[in-house]
Amino acid sequence: MSFHHLDQYATVSSPVTRATPTARVLAATAIAVGTAALPLGAWEHLGILAGLVVLVAAAAHVPASLILRRLAGPFVFVLAASTGLLFLVPGTPLIHVGPFGISDAGLQRFGFVLGRASVALTAAVILVSTTSFPELVQALRQLRLPGAVTTALGLGYRLLYLLVDELERLQRAARSRNAGGGTTRRRRLLVGITAAGLARAFSRGERTHRAMLARGFVGDLPSLAPKSWDLGTALTLAVLIVVVIAITLSAHVRS
Amino acid sequence: MAHIPDGFLSAPVMAGTAAASVAGLAVAVHRSRRHLAEREAPVLGAATAFVFAAQMLNFPLGAGTSAHLLGGVLVGTMLGPWAAMLVLFAVVLVQALLFQDGGIGALGANTLNMAILGVGGGMLVYRWILWLAGVGFRRRVAAAALAGAGSTVIVGVAVAVELALSDTVPLAPALVAVGGGHALMGIGEGVITGAVLAMVLRARPELVASVPSPSAWARALAYAGTTGAVTLAIGAAYLASSKPDALEAAAARLGIHEIETAYLAAPFADYTAPLGGALMAAVIGVVAVFTVAWVIGRAVARRRLGA
Amino acid sequence: MPPLLAVRDLAFHYPDGTPALRGISFDVERSERVALLGSTGSGKSTLLQHLNGLLTPDAGSVTVAGFAVADDTVREVRRRVGLVFQDPNDQLFLPTLLEDVAFGPLNNGVDSHEAIHRARAILEELGLVGVESRPAHHLSGGERRLAALATVLVSRPDLLALDEPTGDLDAVSRSRLVRLLTTRPETLLTATHDLHVAAALCERGVVLHRGVVVADRPLADVLGDRELLERHGLAAPLDRSGGAPSTRPSGWRRAD
Repeated sequence: MSFHHLDQYATVSSPVTRATPTARVLAATAIAVGTAALPLGAWEHLGILAGLVVLVAAAAHVPASLILRRLAGPFVFVLAASTGLLFLVPGTPLIHVGPFGISDAGLQRFGFVLGRASVALTAAVILVSTTSFPELVQALRQLRLPGAVTTALGLGYRLLYLLVDELERLQRAARSRNAGGGTTRRRRLLVGITAAGLARAFSRGERTHRAMLARGFVGDLPSLAPKSWDLGTALTLAVLIVVVIAITLSAHVRS
Repeated sequence: MAHIPDGFLSAPVMAGTAAASVAGLAVAVHRSRRHLAEREAPVLGAATAFVFAAQMLNFPLGAGTSAHLLGGVLVGTMLGPWAAMLVLFAVVLVQALLFQDGGIGALGANTLNMAILGVGGGMLVYRWILWLAGVGFRRRVAAAALAGAGSTVIVGVAVAVELALSDTVPLAPALVAVGGGHALMGIGEGVITGAVLAMVLRARPELVASVPSPSAWARALAYAGTTGAVTLAIGAAYLASSKPDALEAAAARLGIHEIETAYLAAPFADYTAPLGGALMAAVIGVVAVFTVAWVIGRAVARRRLGA
Repeated sequence: MPPLLAVRDLAFHYPDGTPALRGISFDVERSERVALLGSTGSGKSTLLQHLNGLLTPDAGSVTVAGFAVADDTVREVRRRVGLVFQDPNDQLFLPTLLEDVAFGPLNNGVDSHEAIHRARAILEELGLVGVESRPAHHLSGGERRLAALATVLVSRPDLLALDEPTGDLDAVSRSRLVRLLTTRPETLLTATHDLHVAAALCERGVVLHRGVVVADRPLADVLGDRELLERHGLAAPLDRSGGAPSTRPSGWRRAD
């Protein structure tokens, strides 16, 4: 169980990492949504947005190898999912793979969906490469997400690490007891570990609650004032959003 | 997989599901406040952490396959449906933003599917079964198992419908591939949910939220609703399987003149078709009857318990 | 001058019925440094949690700086009592250390910038540099204990209540922590089963055994009373001279 994603982010300083986290989240969201919302066949518009993403990646000073590495896993999944489309879209078949036919329409759809997904994915990867988890929670708070949700995330982070520690310990103990056991035995042990993990998670939550009360907690989780927006960030973000909206809308109007 | 990546949904579907999930979350925030006051905020953090950790666990099923836990119903039995919705939303959110498990643009759909419909539908089944059968230990576990399986199926159907409405994949193959796949996953989800709940009930029963036992009225309504829904479901299946002409004739008799009917075997031409389909109507009917009966039954039960 | 802490006939039993505290009474004056000694199960942790109202007694009372601990005074009491739990992970629950340390002041109504300023100051005071943006699990065990201490000291409590402050620390971290605590001005009540730590930090010892106070004397007396220590499960430490540690063991200089 690796949660390195939650902690590793480019420690480079760049206009992107210096921007307040909320701006980064909004920018990534705008690009991802704008790209995902492109109508099928809007290849030129997809190309422009892809170029935009490359620009942002460059501005972020995030090494390309990091982006590609992070992109690899999700991309493979998207590739697999899009491949299904190849065979499922009706139309006159061009190629035959066994009993299945790949139509021209299917090929086009496959390519476009894959393209859309990849560009949106890259925007998300740039976000995660420039933003730490605490910053993300800050941004969500500033974006007025329900307090219960941001509190759950804020507290859940530490609780998750502690829980994973405990689960690993439980697994190790179970493994040593279970040397040579079969699938059923392993599954039963895993269920036991899960239940124990659940109970311990809640116990930890209780203890956290007591510690919070001891430091004056009365119901609402206080938060540090969010980093202020500088004019440059606000303007850049505004321009970015307008550009993305323009591109996506024009693609819809045309089709 | 349950999480839809970006690029597979059309703009209208993205917008529609986003609006629906915002509405659902608003309701969940409002209603969870009442229930949570006693348990307090860190409980949500603990549940979120647990779902994250649990979703990474690999439960061996034998023959090299393994199952994964979604966790929505399990958390729902502990914290009630509304808090569970918020917890699953938090998980889906972080998965999209930090792990690229599910697209950012698709957050509306993924939230709707997994946090709102999956949890809500699953908990509906849970409560429903307990109303019918009572709240003993074994019934709880069985109800949770069925609810877990049901919630996974609901997620699968939702994903398939969204893909179809987006004109990405036709409905029939989507239902078979995605829906079918999820139905299989649902078995694992159900079994694991039931098994874990059983252990927790035995070791730390105070962690599990209580379900008020239904009054006689509520129970009667549950039976009536179930009977009605089953009848409708059978009727819908019959309708869907009968010849196209019979379908059209029936539609004409009902006064619906121009509907583009959906045949289970053929893909859709454009996305307005499913909304007129008889199959769709049947599904909506079943859901509606369940919902209405549940709402009435719940109101009655509440009055009885003086809550 | 009324004592900073007054505990009177405190009685409490666990949910399963076993009695935890069976009538505890003692005072702590300002600037005193008291060691709460007792084997596991003697009730030390339970007692400490009564001092800031986390637990409500079945009988008896706790008064802190003139406030009788009750539902309506709990807020004031918690400003004055800084409780450090046995497991530092309990009180390091936010994504970054800075947020953790600022949590107390923020809850007490201090504005955000001032809270950050105070948090940074106490972290520096305790020697924790360059870690404010890190989560607690990126710290070593010793650093985590210091961080937990910081979360409490930042609010400048009148009474510092520590529950096994040196727990599982290695010798180096332990002596570093002890040395730090000896320089703190706060009134100190520390529960510990480590007699060396008690000797280095405190001048008075209150011995608990099965929920009752069995001794309340100058620490030197307590540590010298071999029979008392053995009778109440406080294993007398292995010592070449065969005696209990003096109140000033070599290696730990007490700042006067």
